[in-house]
Amino acid sequence: MDEADLRLDGNHVAGLLAEVFQFDMTVEWSGCAACGARNQLGALQVYAHGMGAVMCCPGCGQTLLRVARGGGRWWLDLRGMAWLQLDEGARLPD
Amino acid sequence: MAGYVSRGFRGRRRAGDGEAGRLPPGQYAEPGFPVLTAGPTPRVDLAEWRLRVDGLVATPREWTWEEVQALPRSTFEGDIHCVTRWSKLGTSFAGVSVDVLLDQAEPLPQATHVVASCHGGYTTNLPLEDVRGGKAWVVWEHEGQPLPPEHGGPARLLVPHLYFWKSAKWLMALRLLDHDRPGFWEGLGYHNRGDPWREERYWGD
Amino acid sequence: MGRLSWRLARVAEVRPETSRVASLALEVPGWVGHLAGQHVDLRLTAEDGYQAERSYSIASAPDGQRVELTVERLDDGEVSPYLAGEIREGDQFELRGPIGGYFVWKPGLGGPLLLVAGGSGVVPLMAMLRHRAASGSQAPTRLLYSSRTLEDVIFRDELERLAAAGDGLTVTHTLTRAQPPGWRGYDRRVDAVMLEEVGWRPDERPLAYVCGPTRLVEAVAGDLVALGHDPARVRTERFGPTGVQ
Repeated sequence: MDEADLRLDGNHVAGLLAEVFQFDMTVEWSGCAACGARNQLGALQVYAHGMGAVMCCPGCGQTLLRVARGGGRWWLDLRGMAWLQLDEGARLPD
Repeated sequence: MAGYVSRGFRGRRRAGDGEAGRLPPGQYAEPGFPVLTAGPTPRVDLAEWRLRVDGLVATPREWTWEEVQALPRSTFEGDIHCVTRWSKLGTSFAGVSVDVLLDQAEPLPQATHVVASCHGGYTTNLPLEDVRGGKAWVVWEHEGQPLPPEHGGPARLLVPHLYFWKSAKWLMALRLLDHDRPGFWEGLGYHNRGDPWREERYWGD
Repeated sequence: MGRLSWRLARVAEVRPETSRVASLALEVPGWVGHLAGQHVDLRLTAEDGYQAERSYSIASAPDGQRVELTVERLDDGEVSPYLAGEIREGDQFELRGPIGGYFVWKPGLGGPLLLVAGGSGVVPLMAMLRHRAASGSQAPTRLLYSSRTLEDVIFRDELERLAAAGDGLTVTHTLTRAQPPGWRGYDRRVDAVMLEEVGWRPDERPLAYVCGPTRLVEAVAGDLVALGHDPARVRTERFGPTGVQ
């Protein structure tokens, strides 16, 4: 198996991010702190497993977001993201 | 996190009778060897591969691939435990004991901790005692075969008495410090030490 | 207070598609409908408390009530042998969703559309094609579908029917491992030449959706961009190493 086989899209962590943000984060836009590229989170490259997930810029590979989950808590590292836009239209229904 | 029990669902794992006592709390026996990765697999050219031990040591050392292979060979046979709840029982790794590396580098008395850093940027931190006294290795073989890249090859750290995220893949260097410095997962909710027998999975456990 | 809650889904029907693939029709109380291309997360709990979570693309068109999943059984899988093997009508499991608005097609987005599928990657694209047909959309659409053998082609008859409807859909198969006698179609993995022959020209500005094993998806997406297509109009859904959800 090649590591490339394990790469996924932002869609893969839609459910996990919905636990935290209560928005469908795959359609929300982000800015890469390294290269400035704008991408919807669904377009980011993802490495994910039971410990958590890492979302990377498809252009320059910079990690935009790291998330870990366990024991009823979530931890987020957004240092690689210059900005994150949330859109009322993507709010999850009640 | 209780859920609805679905009729007929068992999952893949098999727990044999003899295994119950070997499993730390909350773990199940996994016959395979799941690959967990937080980034692209680094490709390391053996000709350029180096292993460094530096920081608070009398003699910072660096070994080439040939040099580290020439060190006394040491094998671990036993169980490994992942914080994601799988344990692989009765596996084996081969390489060199970290004690051999530290003997050559000579830790200074004030060294209390070590940070492992890796190709690709992964880091993990440990108290120095957790890698001494026959408890840790740098390994390049798994069950008799060269360690595959997706499992950390050419070489990874092996610290089997702690959760397996401490057994850092694609190891580059061990740096000895006089203070602790949380690594990749330890800085994002995972327990600083990670003893599976005390179920130290997350902060505050 | 938007929240993606776990609900209890009940299997209303199990329908074999191929020797390794089954479709499950689910009743999900409180289902609010979905968009074509979205997925659901499933959570299965065993008697001893062991849990496994997986995501599956919704196969059915958005019609408000029905949720259908189409699952390929992976031999050494943990969840797929249960969903495409053991499960029976009346069984229940936890489900949340729909989620994943990024990999979605709605008639309002128009076309032309290029849909490229590898194996069970056809599932979300089938939701799009079913939605397209049900909504009366005439958006010119080309599906390029890679399977190992003819027997592995999922939704084969339905795709033939949809393609025969004369509303601007063409379906092209490539069979990569074995072909039936007399097969005159493609017999190799999707590559740039095939994409150029089957797909749209860059100046036609298609919307492309690519789904299947990570390797196929990345190769196809890369080829499309190299051929001159706008990366912003290529959407991908990688299924990972096995190509099975």
